[in-house]
Amino acid sequence: MKDETRQSISDSTAVHLSAPQWLCVLGLSLGLAWLLPVVWTAFEVFEPVPHYRVPYELSNDYWLYERWLDQLSPDAIPVVGDSVVWGEYTAHDGTLSRFLGDATGAPFANTGLNGLYPLALWGLIEHHGGALANRRVLLHCNLLWMSDPEADMQIEKEQVFNHPALVPQFAPRIPCYRVGTDIRLGRMLERQLEPLSWVRHLQQTYFDQKSAPEWTLADDGQFPPTFPNTYRLPLGVQGVPLSFESPSAKRGLASERHKSWSANSPGSLNMEWVTPKSSLQWQAFRRLAKRLQGRGSDLLVIVGPLNEHMMNDETREKYIGFRTAVTVWLKAEEIRFIVPGVLPSAEFADASHPLTEGYERLAKRLADEPVFRAWLGQ
Amino acid sequence: MLFHTWTFLLFFAVTIAGFWALRPTRFWLHWILLASAVFYGWWHPYYLLLVFYSTALDYFIVGWMERDTRLVKPGWSLAASVATFVGSVVVGLLAPAGWGGLAVAVVFFAVVLAVGHWRRSRRCWLVVSIINNLSVMFFFKYAAFAIENMNAVLARAGVGLLPSAESLMPPGWEYVLPVGISFYTFQSMSYTIDFYRGNIAREPSFVRFATFVTFFPQLVAGPIERAKNLLPQFSKLPRVTVVDVSDGASLFLVGLFKKVALANYIGPYVDRVYGEAATQGGAALTLATFAFGWQIYFDFSGYTDMARGVARCMGFRLMLNFRNPYLAVNLADFWSRWHISLSTWFRDYLYIPLGGSRVGSLKLWRNLLITFVISGLWHGAAWTFLIWGALHGLGLIANRALEQAAWWRDRCPCMAKRLVVFVFVCFAWVFFRAESLGQAVEILQRIFTTGWTDPQMPLLLLLLVVSIWVYQFIYESPLRAWLEKPLMKVVMAVAMILWLLLFAPGGGEPFIYFQF
Repeated sequence: MKDETRQSISDSTAVHLSAPQWLCVLGLSLGLAWLLPVVWTAFEVFEPVPHYRVPYELSNDYWLYERWLDQLSPDAIPVVGDSVVWGEYTAHDGTLSRFLGDATGAPFANTGLNGLYPLALWGLIEHHGGALANRRVLLHCNLLWMSDPEADMQIEKEQVFNHPALVPQFAPRIPCYRVGTDIRLGRMLERQLEPLSWVRHLQQTYFDQKSAPEWTLADDGQFPPTFPNTYRLPLGVQGVPLSFESPSAKRGLASERHKSWSANSPGSLNMEWVTPKSSLQWQAFRRLAKRLQGRGSDLLVIVGPLNEHMMNDETREKYIGFRTAVTVWLKAEEIRFIVPGVLPSAEFADASHPLTEGYERLAKRLADEPVFRAWLGQ
Repeated sequence: MLFHTWTFLLFFAVTIAGFWALRPTRFWLHWILLASAVFYGWWHPYYLLLVFYSTALDYFIVGWMERDTRLVKPGWSLAASVATFVGSVVVGLLAPAGWGGLAVAVVFFAVVLAVGHWRRSRRCWLVVSIINNLSVMFFFKYAAFAIENMNAVLARAGVGLLPSAESLMPPGWEYVLPVGISFYTFQSMSYTIDFYRGNIAREPSFVRFATFVTFFPQLVAGPIERAKNLLPQFSKLPRVTVVDVSDGASLFLVGLFKKVALANYIGPYVDRVYGEAATQGGAALTLATFAFGWQIYFDFSGYTDMARGVARCMGFRLMLNFRNPYLAVNLADFWSRWHISLSTWFRDYLYIPLGGSRVGSLKLWRNLLITFVISGLWHGAAWTFLIWGALHGLGLIANRALEQAAWWRDRCPCMAKRLVVFVFVCFAWVFFRAESLGQAVEILQRIFTTGWTDPQMPLLLLLLVVSIWVYQFIYESPLRAWLEKPLMKVVMAVAMILWLLLFAPGGGEPFIYFQF
């Protein structure tokens, strides 16, 4: 055995690049990384159907969300918010944006995402909502997220929640968000760099939310397991449809879930409510509203409505107190807002989500509001 | 902190920035030492105590070795050692439950130090250093295994059981294997042995010596550097050239690709098959065994490449650790290509002192077996590692016999030899990878006794591994010049970057060799 301690790099298997070659590699790699998503849009068909919303399966596909916003016509009015805007219990044509369009004749677009909450909504709009600049935006404020410390993400106990990639990774600190520095850094980078966001889109759409290698190894979830993708190559895989929603038994008028809340859980609910001063979700919402304003969006905020029929007197009192604080702040910031009256009990599916009829009624009420009409220029 | 994580990228950016800022001052080495401490302490701050202990011990022992050639009177150091010894005994006796282990350790180290001062000979200091270093390593790595086996024997004899290794730790301290302890212990020991042999001079600067032991790129998984190679590089500010940076970046890219694109892809397949070995067919187990051979190669050599790349970007050159080992034509050749820094360590500090090859056949076989059994145990405290080492020892003995046969030496095609070595090495890996001896035997049995079932190895994975193997064959053939054409290199580098971008799975799986 000879002394190997002074071997040079050329004795290993390294691809040994010189500085000029590195420049070529970096130039080509960066160029391709930024070009591929652009070229991809030319090949990947995305023609949203009327009353389109981002499909449930692609709720974490922020690149698609951005593409959806980019595709909006200049006069379209995006309705931004969480699952209340998206329509947790309804079909894609039974949501608030659809009925607002019917009631006003204006082209409202459903730009809500399932599973969002103000802390994540801020991240979504900050990093993927550039197309909302300089246009009318209808922003929904769901106060349910401030109704207790757990929903407000204030508790110290670790929680698993949706859209962790969108929440602030370091500051402000979210006590229940307990992941390592590396994951936080990765998530920060992913939302800053479009190629990474596009790769996530590929994973979401074509590879069952996995990387391509993981997809080739994945089992079918049955016992004994089989491995359907073992002999398939990542090219030519049929993905989740982007332009329309696959029919789901979980949503829409025919769905078993589409029924009034009282059919499932009669009785009143006690909610602790956090204070506006301490609320992480309210702080995030304020940052979001200011950001949209800063980008030149003509903003109208819809505060609620929550299902007050579900609240006991004490809870309702705290809710109204919080709501008042919200309206005071919106007024102070000269942001137009509407606080719609509570919907009939039978039109709520739970504490905050209306049923299809509820959305229709809410849309008609909003359309009748002078503030709304003035904002629309009608 | 793993090389293939964003945290490391950030850490390295800060380290490099500080290194450049401090280059005009004399604190650049302190900065590297601080960075190394942060890098290592990131896993667990208490690891730093152990690495500091090893470092300080060998630094002072070599100092005493140098002093004791001049026959200086015992002085206060002997008195201090005696006092420490007495104090430790008292502490050991008075120690509350859970602290006894630490007290005994302190007593033990105090005794060997006292003996060293009392005997005042270079050889004695060498023994003190080796005993100390190996004791720390033994406690954290082998104590649980040794106690478990001794208890099994004692239980048969009806004698009371020994306390578990965990119970020897102070309250609140977890009994965990410190990452990389085998690597830095060997590196630190090699300095002392080399000084004892007169191969190197004593390093007067503690900071320089501590940086040599803890240098972050190679601290946790090697290469196990020699003082002769690395220490002089810390004695003056390195001149970092554009070539250093481009070479370093090249090494890092290849290492990253090996780890993230290859090792992390193969790993889940091997885990799946070995995890259900009792129900798997021979084809799946055979393929998974070969796959593990590639996984461990990509994992470990990928780490080494990244380590060398990181060091090179700062102007330091670490030794080569892998040289296409699966193209070896015999087992001796394999060990000159696989984990070179460890195999040369064992060669220089164990095999040659035992007599090496310049002895009769029986002694030679003994030397090979001892060296490889210990090398196996170096990798882990389990019978499977011991058998893995013994298999390689026996393989080398058989290899020497084969090399003397003309039909093998002159007429057997090179490709066939390579295949034999690859198959042997992979089947030996079964013992390395298996959870237990029983599982290893079961896997080997099933490989040879069960019929064909679909191994379910992803086609994409197979294509990747085969293309890397073909690349390596070309690299060691006359066609290598073709691979080294600028256009080819650029295309390969871009392909690797795009693969990492598009297909890299999430999650930072740790390196296999960290457990050693």
